[in-house]
Amino acid sequence: MKWGMVIDLKRCVGCYGCQLSCKAEHGTPRGIFFARVLKQEEGQYPTVSQTFLPVLCNHCEDPPCVEACPTGASFVWEDDGTVDIDHDLCVGCRTCMLACPYSNRYFNDNEQAYYGDKGQTPFEAARTTQHQEGVVMKCNFCRDRRQEGKEPACVANCPTVARHFGDLDDPTSNVSRLIKERAGFVLHPDKGTKPNVYYLPA
Amino acid sequence: MNEIKPPRIVETAPEGDEWIPSTCNLCYGTCSILVHKVDGVAVKIEGNPKSTVGKGRLCGKGVSGLMTHYDPNRVRVPMRRTNPEKGIGIDPGWEEISWDEALDEIAGRLKKIRADDPRKLSIQRTTTVYTMGLPWAAFAPGFGTTNVSEGGGGLHCGNSAHQVSGLLHASWGVLPDFQYCNYALYFGASKGHAAGHNSNSNMAQAADARERGMKMVVVDPMCNFAAAKANEWVPIRVGTDAALALAMCNVLANELGTLDEPYLKAKTNGPYLIGPDGTYVRDSETNEPLVWDTKDSAAKPHNVADSEDMALTGEFEVNGVKCQPSFVLLKEHLKKYSPEYAEEITTVPAENIRRLTAEFAKEARIGSTIVIDGVTLPYRPAAAIAFRGLQGHRNATFNFLAVLLLNQLVGAADVVGSCHGFNSAFDGIPETGRMGYKPKAGPDGLMEVGTWMAYDPPYPRPEPKKPEEMGLQDLFVMGMTSPFFNSEEGEELWEKLDMPYRPEMLINYGANIMMSIANKDLIAESLKKLDFIASFDLFLNETSDFVDIILPDRGYLGCYNTRPNSPYIFSHPAGMGDWSWAIQQPVVEPEGKERIFADVLIDLAERADFLSDMNAAFNAVFDLRGENRLESDKKYTYEEICDADLKNNFGDERGLDYFKQEGVITWPKTPEEVYWRPFTDARVPIYWEWMPELGKKIQAISGPAGLDVPMEYYSALVDYLPCASHKCNHEGFDFYTFYYRDTLHTNSFTMENAWLDEAAQLDPYSYNIAMNTQSGLKRGLEDGDMIWLETERGRKVKGRVHLTQAIHPEGLGIAALCGHWAKGMPVAEGKGIFYNELLELDWEYVNPVNLTLDLCSKVKVSKVEEN
Repeated sequence: MKWGMVIDLKRCVGCYGCQLSCKAEHGTPRGIFFARVLKQEEGQYPTVSQTFLPVLCNHCEDPPCVEACPTGASFVWEDDGTVDIDHDLCVGCRTCMLACPYSNRYFNDNEQAYYGDKGQTPFEAARTTQHQEGVVMKCNFCRDRRQEGKEPACVANCPTVARHFGDLDDPTSNVSRLIKERAGFVLHPDKGTKPNVYYLPA
Repeated sequence: MNEIKPPRIVETAPEGDEWIPSTCNLCYGTCSILVHKVDGVAVKIEGNPKSTVGKGRLCGKGVSGLMTHYDPNRVRVPMRRTNPEKGIGIDPGWEEISWDEALDEIAGRLKKIRADDPRKLSIQRTTTVYTMGLPWAAFAPGFGTTNVSEGGGGLHCGNSAHQVSGLLHASWGVLPDFQYCNYALYFGASKGHAAGHNSNSNMAQAADARERGMKMVVVDPMCNFAAAKANEWVPIRVGTDAALALAMCNVLANELGTLDEPYLKAKTNGPYLIGPDGTYVRDSETNEPLVWDTKDSAAKPHNVADSEDMALTGEFEVNGVKCQPSFVLLKEHLKKYSPEYAEEITTVPAENIRRLTAEFAKEARIGSTIVIDGVTLPYRPAAAIAFRGLQGHRNATFNFLAVLLLNQLVGAADVVGSCHGFNSAFDGIPETGRMGYKPKAGPDGLMEVGTWMAYDPPYPRPEPKKPEEMGLQDLFVMGMTSPFFNSEEGEELWEKLDMPYRPEMLINYGANIMMSIANKDLIAESLKKLDFIASFDLFLNETSDFVDIILPDRGYLGCYNTRPNSPYIFSHPAGMGDWSWAIQQPVVEPEGKERIFADVLIDLAERADFLSDMNAAFNAVFDLRGENRLESDKKYTYEEICDADLKNNFGDERGLDYFKQEGVITWPKTPEEVYWRPFTDARVPIYWEWMPELGKKIQAISGPAGLDVPMEYYSALVDYLPCASHKCNHEGFDFYTFYYRDTLHTNSFTMENAWLDEAAQLDPYSYNIAMNTQSGLKRGLEDGDMIWLETERGRKVKGRVHLTQAIHPEGLGIAALCGHWAKGMPVAEGKGIFYNELLELDWEYVNPVNLTLDLCSKVKVSKVEEN
């Protein structure tokens, strides 16, 4: 069993639904994004193309972040291949952030209230406070939701149905099939990290 | 037939843990939602998968609603100003008052005005919560005023999009039939790309279409949203789309000859005979327009002859009058729009215009049919659509008509794969059959809409008269949302036109007109003149500087609405699939003393002694029948009225309690509803015969008062007419500015949402001025420089430039309605560019047909020297 995600760049319109539904699910503090949308422009006017590129932790098979972590806080779940952080073990040294070639790890040292001096909202008091401060945070493919039998929030919510989630070890799964049929690719394969997040061409 | 399912059994959840169904209102798309509450705190908003409106998925705005709900900067108590001086940035000195004090003061003023002249009360609402209009639709007529403006109090409404879509497609707007369309040609529209009506639902449908292989060509000055997903981006000079569309029509009609003649004969006024004076030749007995019957070689009324026998070409003589089918006049008229002429105007190469037209013509597959659910239907899988962008110019009406004419010529209108009015026909609620509507033939055989949003339908229109409406729509009878509703320019026009009264009081519901129209100083002057303004708001914004009493609204998570998606021409997904009926209900308790605005209106009606009139208006607006009718003198809560409305439409078993639990009910559409065009005998106008005469009638009233109506806008035949910006040739003024709707924002209020603001700050476009890289480098600019934009009349704004290849070299693209300066919205303050500061608010910039204000300006650019 190896969880993986496929993001169809043909379907994505850059609506930010993933980035913000992730915020809504996890109540992450300002500046921390387990999911983000990047915009990339290529070519010269008038033959220009604009790509919307949603990114998140790639849950690499050979994750340099795990290797770099001096305390063992960053680890791979053996049963499903997802990369996670044990915040009780994390000392906030941020070595993993330097090791991640995708910049998808964040250090939680920002204000824990979006509205600053006005204090936390009831939502933030309920959701943001669950996160430890002074530690590194990142996407864990919505482990809590998966345990309830749900897909990750960004997958379940994507308005264009551009995100797919499934077992990469199963050649008949939706994700394995899409990768094969539509020439799925990963970001920065040259880094040798073997990401488990794939993209389908626009 | 389609049976409605019984209520679901609520699954057992931990105590204090619940999911409540309701409706999103971060924009007017009104997707169905589920709100997760734990121990009384709302902790998550998700889409409701039981509904076809959003299908369980939400856009970035929708999932961010709790940040707006819990924003500590929200207004939570009623407040009165202590400083009598009103002006931009002058502190009103707010003090908290009780609801009783607030209501007594407002009601006292209402009583006085009602006794004097109820028209002196004006009401304006924001489009964001447009679908919450029903309580207002009872309050205003109950009080006795027609001065109601729904479109943000001014500019930002799709006047032409709605009007021309209504005339040609019986709906509030148009879309490609995503499920079957193979070739979609977009002009200034983002349908399916996170903006506009059905924004969220369209995203999935458009993505399905792309994956299926639909080719999309997007005409737009900027390659960001729809254009970024297009197979081909066609960059165009700002505001010139009509010239391109008419050149394409010309190529279709006069070069390729690819026309759907049976459609033109049966479904348009193309065969109607036009005499030398440009008007219909009419039957002497019935007064119906005549057509030429080729079988009998005789003129016959349009409703007598068989459409297949009607002549589309030729010259005839009827009762001594020489006449031709209107189609001949249109075809001849189009000849002046050669692709070479259009290239000069639009910068789109003539060869591309010919190529794109040929592609569109081929994909229209004229003459083909397809079977859908056992019904054989015309198959025209090509669509030309437009929306707010191209019609936000002085040539608003014709700009939109020019694009929709492309569909008419090839018969691609409300059939399979074609351009669609969304949900123009609806058979009614299963079991009760209530609320159904469909387009039908009206005067002269031309189409009347089956349903319409708040104001009068687009056809037929009343005769023009000396204006008594603040927005002048009773003189400019094709007028819709008017920019003169609240402005000093309006005062000048009222003076000229002898308006018999002046407004004294304004009740505002969420609109921020200091930002949402144009020249803020003119708006400020008109607001200062009003004796009294009461305003329902979520935040103290720029308009609050002029308000006397602020009333805290509970917002979309605290309100009732029984019809968030009805009528279906506004915010319900188009195409085959399901109908859904959802409601909106309070899901959270107020954080302070906020109240449901509808109940406040009922309180005001009671205190100002017009409750029985308001109840009568509720009965009419909701069409309440039998025991569901409200009693004249009884005071109801809005919750009770909502219960009556639901029972009235769905039967006694399915009142508010049923819907509170169920949230939404869903049943399948039929092909006859979705592809209604073949089943109507209504025709649509490709020749607007009534326009010149209408223009003359208006001029006869306005001309003597010193307000001339330029007659070229009242032509029977569609034209390209330039904006003021196109006539500006002053040296150094070499960029056309335009605004667009940002994916992350709705109107002006979401800039205060801290999540959306954060995302917008990280986006390369949202808060910056997009300029073509080469154009910027030529002027010595670098990405990130602060620049001034200045119009030839000296109006100016500054902002940070983002150099990009994805914009026309002459265009400057700016996300609309940013640049707040109010202290009551500290997250929004200072973010982005206040675009509307560039816009003039006078007659020379207004479409004289439907009163659209021009959104473009010609500017010179200079670098701000930063220390």
